[in-house]
Amino acid sequence: MTTLTRRSRVRTSTYGVGAVAYLLATVFLAHSSNYNQGLLLVAAVFSILALSLDLVAGMLGLYSLGQAGLFAIGAYSTTILVTRDHWNVFLALPVVIVVGALLGIIIGALALRVSGLYFAITTYVFTLIVGVAVSDASITGGYQGLAGPTFPNFPHVLSGMGTALVWAISGALLITVVIIWSIRSSAVYPVLLAIRDAEPFAASAGVKTSFTRVMMFSLSSALAGLAGWTFCFLGYITPGQFNGTATINILVMVILGGMNTRLGPIVGAVFISLFPVVVSWNPLWQEVLFGAIFIIVIVFFPEGVVGVVSRITRLVRRRFQGESLETDGDLVPTAPTSIRTPITSTAEFALAARNITFHYLHGVPVLENIDFLVRPGTIHGLIGPNGSGKSTMVNLICGQLTPTEGMIELQGERVDHLSAYQRPAMGLMRTFQTAVMVREISTRDNVTIGLFHQFQRLLSRSLLWPLLPSGRRDTRAMHQLATSALNDVGLDSQWDATRVADIPHGVEQLTQLAAACVGRPSVLVLDEPLAGLSLGEIDEVATILRRLRDQGVTTIVVEHQTRFIFDVCDDVTVLAAGQLIRTGSAADVRVDERVREVYLGQ
Amino acid sequence: MFQVLLTGLATGAIYGLIAMAYAVVFYVTRVINFATGQLFMACIMITMAVANAGFSIWLAILAGFATSSIGGVVVYFIAVRPVLRFDRFSFAWLVSTLGVGIILESLAALKWGTSSLPFPNMMNGKDVAIFNAKLTWQQIVTIIVAVAVVGLFELLRRKTLFGKIGMAISSDPDIASSMGANVTRYTIFAFALGGLLAAIAGVLVGPFSFASPYLGESFGISGFVALMIGGIERPAAAMGGGMILGVLTVLANTYINSQASDWFPFVVVVIVLLISPNGVFMAGPSLKKATRRLRTASSKVAR
Repeated sequence: MTTLTRRSRVRTSTYGVGAVAYLLATVFLAHSSNYNQGLLLVAAVFSILALSLDLVAGMLGLYSLGQAGLFAIGAYSTTILVTRDHWNVFLALPVVIVVGALLGIIIGALALRVSGLYFAITTYVFTLIVGVAVSDASITGGYQGLAGPTFPNFPHVLSGMGTALVWAISGALLITVVIIWSIRSSAVYPVLLAIRDAEPFAASAGVKTSFTRVMMFSLSSALAGLAGWTFCFLGYITPGQFNGTATINILVMVILGGMNTRLGPIVGAVFISLFPVVVSWNPLWQEVLFGAIFIIVIVFFPEGVVGVVSRITRLVRRRFQGESLETDGDLVPTAPTSIRTPITSTAEFALAARNITFHYLHGVPVLENIDFLVRPGTIHGLIGPNGSGKSTMVNLICGQLTPTEGMIELQGERVDHLSAYQRPAMGLMRTFQTAVMVREISTRDNVTIGLFHQFQRLLSRSLLWPLLPSGRRDTRAMHQLATSALNDVGLDSQWDATRVADIPHGVEQLTQLAAACVGRPSVLVLDEPLAGLSLGEIDEVATILRRLRDQGVTTIVVEHQTRFIFDVCDDVTVLAAGQLIRTGSAADVRVDERVREVYLGQ
Repeated sequence: MFQVLLTGLATGAIYGLIAMAYAVVFYVTRVINFATGQLFMACIMITMAVANAGFSIWLAILAGFATSSIGGVVVYFIAVRPVLRFDRFSFAWLVSTLGVGIILESLAALKWGTSSLPFPNMMNGKDVAIFNAKLTWQQIVTIIVAVAVVGLFELLRRKTLFGKIGMAISSDPDIASSMGANVTRYTIFAFALGGLLAAIAGVLVGPFSFASPYLGESFGISGFVALMIGGIERPAAAMGGGMILGVLTVLANTYINSQASDWFPFVVVVIVLLISPNGVFMAGPSLKKATRRLRTASSKVAR
């Protein structure tokens, strides 16, 4: 507890010192020479761009190569609106940001349909198109480009504050940093990483993955537009500043500084944009060196400067201080503000599969006329030989697949037309055969992802998360719920802060179970929860399932280990080759002739 | 019209060869070599330099081919092989291959200057009449070479054991290597072949384009656009994409205006990417999928 409060106090004061230093630097720069201002303001503009790229590339794995195109649109439209149409520069700002956000939605919605590579290519083509458009059109001045508008000075009263443009760009960078750092410290951060690394896990926790991706890209695009707005006041804008190489440059900044780190994109942007000034060689040799930096960074420092530094400090700290766990000190329960209450239902069956038939686009039916009912508050086993369609059945129940015919009812309500992300809010959670979670964050943070559907307006609140009282309260509540969920599956608090990358397989499976239980589901679907567990851990899972049953949770378990199934389950459904063999109480199924024939091998 | 078609095919053959250079590398490694345009340029510059030094033009071409093929392998060892080890940065090769491209372009500019230099002529500039259209020998040879290259490649891929192992690696390198395929050797071969295809394009277009270090960027982008139109999954489709791009570009130049070839390809590629993300030759399945989705949606509404 003491370490924690000390640490959070240290952190708060670090931010305080940082803010004062930033303010002083702005004041100093506002009174500095034009040369210094030009140099550092360009670095600041590229910091905004690099941060905007890291938002999607680092947290979501979307390597956007459209940043230069969006940047160009921001710069050119501001210039044209201000110099040609005589708009006020501050009136142009919201227009540029909204245009950027809308473009982000359009490009994101179109480009995110296929794979990550397709996204990179489509956004790259977007940048190329913008480049061609501004080179050919007369309104943009063709290859010569346009002279940017001048930024208005402070009114006379405030003239003591120095150059107004410095304050404007410094403010723009500050806003960007606040938004992105807020997201990084919000409850949405683990969710974003889960969308990147473990999309099915995120969707089964109630996250609208595609929507979230598009929205984040829209935010990133709006920030790139903001960067364009600031950039045009710095002098001439020409098509060459926004071409394909420029867009890769921004990616290099992010990777060089450290992808998915707080300071990395800024470090990279400052280095790359000051580099040509510091090393003033023959421009062609400079290009050669630049290309070499691309390769050296990617090959030798894929974690970036900040990544390397933080790894070293972690090693040093571990060596000299031993492992110090970061836990929430005050275990006084705090009531989360916006939590939804779990649904209780009086339906006759917790889950009903009625006449389910499923086949893929081409091919034979995987499941045919499957009909079974799951009584509320029971443990229901789903067994069958390999290839019998168990996992397909689970995917149909949870919404990863849609049945070709038939319907699925959850608590008496039809759900087969709903997407996977809509089902957790109806009280359905699941685990996967092989646990796929976010490896670089702690087990506790992974478990909080399971709470996503219970908290409201997480995405919009994440933009200012640590500044909002409700954000801080919800973070505490989520951590407590996650910690107690981990305790409930038998993991003591030593595992809470351990990264998933560092935990053994059994713990990983149990963490996944905790993530499914933390949202207090009424129906829990477990796809082979025992895979790779030791005998002791299997007993542990059996105990957990019985305890959940006592709490009124209905559990559907897909499993191979028949001893476990007939030991733990109340009812059992047997599938073989896509057909229903038998469904009924465990005792009846166990003695059924056909079940013995197809499955138990007698 | 016939004239436009033939000229378009000759232009498209060049784009197609470059697109194929990208596609062959992608086929085996799932990597897009963004230095392909610069390998194309390197062949043009070396061929020009060797020929100007007084050697036979054929020797010069051979030197150009060798340079680009070896260049392709060098790209693999410097920029691709090391980064594929960090699979988290799955697109890291995008940056590193582009880095090689920038280095090659700047070195060429340092050596030969930034302006265009004449390229030695292999064939006389006389026109040949085909029905009512006129083509130069150079253009005819270009089309023939492009068709031959696709034919040979497909023959190699489908009919020989070497090609079949390549297909196996393409669909799953891990399983292929557990069956005893030497994935590294195939990867090196793919990068060398990619360099060679770019080099062939370079020699064929050199007499028209002259020799300039900045050819790599413009032709590299055109080849990339052709690749997107044809589809990235199959090298033969990339050639098809090149041909389509060539014809459409010449059409746009003839019937819209002389600047249209700047922007028209991008309009085409956007339309293709929107309708059929895997290229025009994969339009069938993706349309089928879309109609199926529509049908199920409408049947759901009906229910």
